[in-house]
Amino acid sequence: MTTKPLEPIIKIRDLTKTFGTVSALSGISLDVDPSEVVCIIGPSGSGKSTLLRCIGFLEEYTSGEVQIEGRLLGYRRTASGLVRESEKNIDAVRRNVGMVFQHFNLWPHMTVLDNVTLGPRLTKRIPTGRARGQGRHALAKVGLESFADRYPSQLSGGQQQRVGIARALAMEPHVILFDEPTSALDPQLVGEVLDTMKQLASDGITMVVVTHEMGFAAQVADRVVFMDHGQIVEKGPPVSLFNAPESPRLREFLDTWRSRNMLFQNDASVTGEGEEGGARS
Amino acid sequence: MLMWGAGMTVLVSGTAIILGMPLGLMLCFGVTSSNPWVSRFSRIYQSVWRGTPILVQLLIIYYLLPLIGLNVAPILAAIIALTLNTVAFQAEIFRGGLLAIPPGQMEAARMVGIRKWAMRYHVVVPQIFRLVIPSLVNETISILKNSSLVSVIAVTELMRVSQQIVATTYRPFEIYITAAVIYILVNFLLSLIGRTAEKRLAGGT
Repeated sequence: MTTKPLEPIIKIRDLTKTFGTVSALSGISLDVDPSEVVCIIGPSGSGKSTLLRCIGFLEEYTSGEVQIEGRLLGYRRTASGLVRESEKNIDAVRRNVGMVFQHFNLWPHMTVLDNVTLGPRLTKRIPTGRARGQGRHALAKVGLESFADRYPSQLSGGQQQRVGIARALAMEPHVILFDEPTSALDPQLVGEVLDTMKQLASDGITMVVVTHEMGFAAQVADRVVFMDHGQIVEKGPPVSLFNAPESPRLREFLDTWRSRNMLFQNDASVTGEGEEGGARS
Repeated sequence: MLMWGAGMTVLVSGTAIILGMPLGLMLCFGVTSSNPWVSRFSRIYQSVWRGTPILVQLLIIYYLLPLIGLNVAPILAAIIALTLNTVAFQAEIFRGGLLAIPPGQMEAARMVGIRKWAMRYHVVVPQIFRLVIPSLVNETISILKNSSLVSVIAVTELMRVSQQIVATTYRPFEIYITAAVIYILVNFLLSLIGRTAEKRLAGGT
């Protein structure tokens, strides 16, 4: 038996996105393999979040292609080019993609458990009883099983974000997109979310993480992608990217981050500890 | 007599408000629709019904229905006119509520595969209602007061009954004061119900 190389879960080719006349992404190509953890770093406005939103098709892309497990996302190939796909077919292609948001985006009028089970109940037509069992299982994975009957507003930010992760997990996705999952959190709450994400990574879940947490990227990522001005400037394993950056822009970005990190070096929980990562696991 | 009229007032305006809620939600989704034709049509409907006096709407409906072969009782014409009117106003109230819901919540629903109508049902509408209860109570009070206009098409609600009693007793002052007190009592009861509902629904957040 020959082992064929695994097909990438996400395949991006020459992706561009413009907002009016402003170019947000220009010529992005990237593959994400099964079980891989890819961290996307870069300055604000570099297009990281836009790229992630294009992968989830929350943003229509302007040209190029995004494929999820070999299927073109958002558009249909026709003789006259790409045509916008129906919502139903977009959902079908996107079914195995989960997403965790910077501002959690939990539904405040539902209990934690209902937040987690609504998706599976409606889209997989799972009976409520079984969905609740699976939902509790997903909550257990993020350590919040005992919070099932609370409302989101009764939880801390870190707990709310873990519910956001459980909500994505409950759909049993093949890949989870994280859009700056710790940026809206108080510093002391960042750790619990990163620990949860590390756990997922070691469970073999494919993850694409847009983050400012360099420690997390250094420690957990298989590959780090550095973006600037809507382009991928450099990508590679974290060791080479952080220790031997090739492009001046990445060097500058890391220098800025390090000097800021120095200022706060006594406060390890805030910024992590450079290449060693700020993990206490 | 007056109490019977008050009952009719509550029946006519209450029916209009309740029928107006689902229709108002539909119109709200129409106004905010991404389909340009749907949103244009919805906006035109809204401008027409918000831009003309209720009395004019009422008389047009009352005289129009027989012309198209529908001989309905005055009370039905009154309910139809008030419903079509409140739909336009409720849609605007619901739109305000809709805009207050962070769009990220809709994106989160899309990312777990929830389709548009299921999302509206489970995520959007329950939150709209708890946001707009005060405005909805205002709209109900306004419809209740405006329902006095349906007396002109011979619906024997509170106003019409008062007029009839005045015509036989020649005591306008006492009768109309009594009618006003009844209107106030009903509206007071309404805002009380509204405040209770608001408190109960706020429990979750």
